[in-house]
Amino acid sequence: MSAMEKVAWTELLVAVTTLVVVTALYPWLGNGATGAFGLLAFVVGGAWFLRRRGGAVVVDERDRAIERQTRNAGASAAWQFLFLALIAVGLGQMYLGADHVSLRVLNWLIWAQFAIFVGVKGLVGVISYRRQSRAA
Amino acid sequence: MCNQVRELRAANGDTTQQELADQVAVTRQTIVALEAGAYTPSLALALRIAKFFNKPVEKIFWLDE
Repeated sequence: MSAMEKVAWTELLVAVTTLVVVTALYPWLGNGATGAFGLLAFVVGGAWFLRRRGGAVVVDERDRAIERQTRNAGASAAWQFLFLALIAVGLGQMYLGADHVSLRVLNWLIWAQFAIFVGVKGLVGVISYRRQSRAA
Repeated sequence: MCNQVRELRAANGDTTQQELADQVAVTRQTIVALEAGAYTPSLALALRIAKFFNKPVEKIFWLDE
């Protein structure tokens, strides 16, 4: 398994774990459960796999190509989620006759968007590496 | 795209994938994917591999038509 494949697995596991913890805490903490989104910070732990060992190449052109693809997929999914969520929230508020959107709702959306970006990026990375290694 | 990197490695005194990877500055996993036809190398990498085997690039890589 290459270093960047380990990074992709880290991103996927951190995003899934974060979403599970946030969902599990919500019944007890309510909006305070958004604090668990801080677990996403563990995604930087993936950098540990990128440390140089001797003169060996850690990241090469194939990794960079997959990284570009995963970043695009993650950003695309995150923005689509945000647009659709904002449309849904806007329509919901209009239906209820409210003239404002709670800052708490926006806070949830932004954190969820970030988690989706990390999760989709990791998932696409894992699938890309699996597909190439299976062909081999 | 097809290639005969695996055959050339064998003919070149059983060069290992890691040795080839080190010489052309990529990871061993990229050589594995390349030999399996799962990865199309950049022109720069194809040229480095051709230089390593001392063969024209079109003798190592060709289009699957």
